[in-house]
Amino acid sequence: MKFGYTSWLPETELVNKFIEGLGNSKLLGTQCRKCGGKYLPPRAHCKCGSTDLEWFAIPNRGKVRSYTVVSFAPESMSRYAPYIVGIAEVEGGMSLMGQLTGVTPSTLKVGLLVQIVAHQPDTDRIVYKFKPA
Amino acid sequence: MPSKAGIVGIGHSKFGKRTDATIRELAHEAVRPALEDAGLAVGDMDASVIGIAGEEFAMQGAPAAVVHDYVGMGSKPTYRVEAACATGSAAIRTAWSLINAGLHDVVLVVGAETMTRVSSARATELMARAGDTRWEYPFGITFPGFYALMATAHMNEFGTTREQLSMVSVKNHKYGAMNPYAHLQKEVSLEETVKSIVISHPLNLYDCCLISDGAAAVVMASEEKARQITDTPVWITGLGAASDSMLIAERPTLTGLTGTKIAAKGAYAMAGIGPSDVDVAEVHDCFTIAEIMAYEDLGFCEKGKGGRFIEEKQSYIGGKVPVNIDGGLKSKGHPLGATGVSMAVELVKQLRGEGGNRQVSGAEIALSHNVGETGQFVFVHIYSR
Repeated sequence: MKFGYTSWLPETELVNKFIEGLGNSKLLGTQCRKCGGKYLPPRAHCKCGSTDLEWFAIPNRGKVRSYTVVSFAPESMSRYAPYIVGIAEVEGGMSLMGQLTGVTPSTLKVGLLVQIVAHQPDTDRIVYKFKPA
Repeated sequence: MPSKAGIVGIGHSKFGKRTDATIRELAHEAVRPALEDAGLAVGDMDASVIGIAGEEFAMQGAPAAVVHDYVGMGSKPTYRVEAACATGSAAIRTAWSLINAGLHDVVLVVGAETMTRVSSARATELMARAGDTRWEYPFGITFPGFYALMATAHMNEFGTTREQLSMVSVKNHKYGAMNPYAHLQKEVSLEETVKSIVISHPLNLYDCCLISDGAAAVVMASEEKARQITDTPVWITGLGAASDSMLIAERPTLTGLTGTKIAAKGAYAMAGIGPSDVDVAEVHDCFTIAEIMAYEDLGFCEKGKGGRFIEEKQSYIGGKVPVNIDGGLKSKGHPLGATGVSMAVELVKQLRGEGGNRQVSGAEIALSHNVGETGQFVFVHIYSR
């Protein structure tokens, strides 16, 4: 499985673990055992320099902080355009970028409560997306 | 206390869709007038600092080496600098540092980029890969998309309007129409800018800067050398720089650039001035919302009042701080590596009183603000006579 609607980087052990979580409907981040720093999306190394991080699950609920409707897409994404990309805040103050579905121009707004669910845009690809809660 | 390195020569190529030239010829087109302006020969240069953002756009690996050789720098040392869209300002800061370190006395700074040889969809793809390719690019976010996220947040929090965004474009096109080096030398109406096609909602075509080819060059010298070379040096009296998180979602605010605030604070402190002392400014208007946020983050107006600042024409000549009166990235064009150096060229003209029909009368202190990516590279320079 590859992560995202399109990708450029190869999958690493970290991304494979995140993908595995998504496959089980779990949103996984990492937390530093040394300073307590939390990361979603996950990181293999903490910004404090520590390499001692552990996985933890985040409730799959969020609130939209901002959004845009992309009409003019990069070459690799043109088959999906137009699509909505947003930023949603999850529990603990962390925020994620993702695509938003299931909204209309009248329901799309900052502050919208969303669920974060796994989605397979292709047979060999997995991603999470935001949909109204 | 560092000495005041200064600018003693300026040169600018025509910006635009330049299918008549590759990056080396464009660089030459800017370097020759810069040397003539300084009254120096290329042999008088001790080193070059060359700002080019992308190999893919230049269609040449290590493109700075080609430029350095082509303009006749021969065996002199050269440095290639890259800071995405802020590459040109990073090159100037690098040259200033080299001069102040005592390594070189006279440095040729060149900023150049060719971008129009690839299709718009390809250019969008290449620029999208300058976002985080692990956690942002896979969702199809584009560069207009990143700034659209900031625009949505700004409009939601402060009530900034569609018309206010377009007013930035109208202003920059008004002045760009008066700049012979600008890519798109035409005025646009508020109505046509408001109604232009959507690129990434809420940003439309006229909210977005141009994809351009072009080059700009400045000759920089130590204080002692500068005084020997010219009677009208322009000094760099303040420099500020900062960065921000790679992932935009990680930032506590989406309605401004933290890097701009930090860089501006540093530059103002070093120059011993405040925002109200700035007579003319060049700010990074890659998108209209970016110019509105820059008014606020540079301290020209209060946070959230940037929309009103343009609506009241405070950034026109005659307003509080004339901004981007050479057309800005929007109308003059944005050949990535050239932009920061082009900002310096315009401000030197203004401080020398060579602005022609766009001259801000009595301008003594000028500011440039150049942003790379979505704030990961920010440079603020203060210039004075």
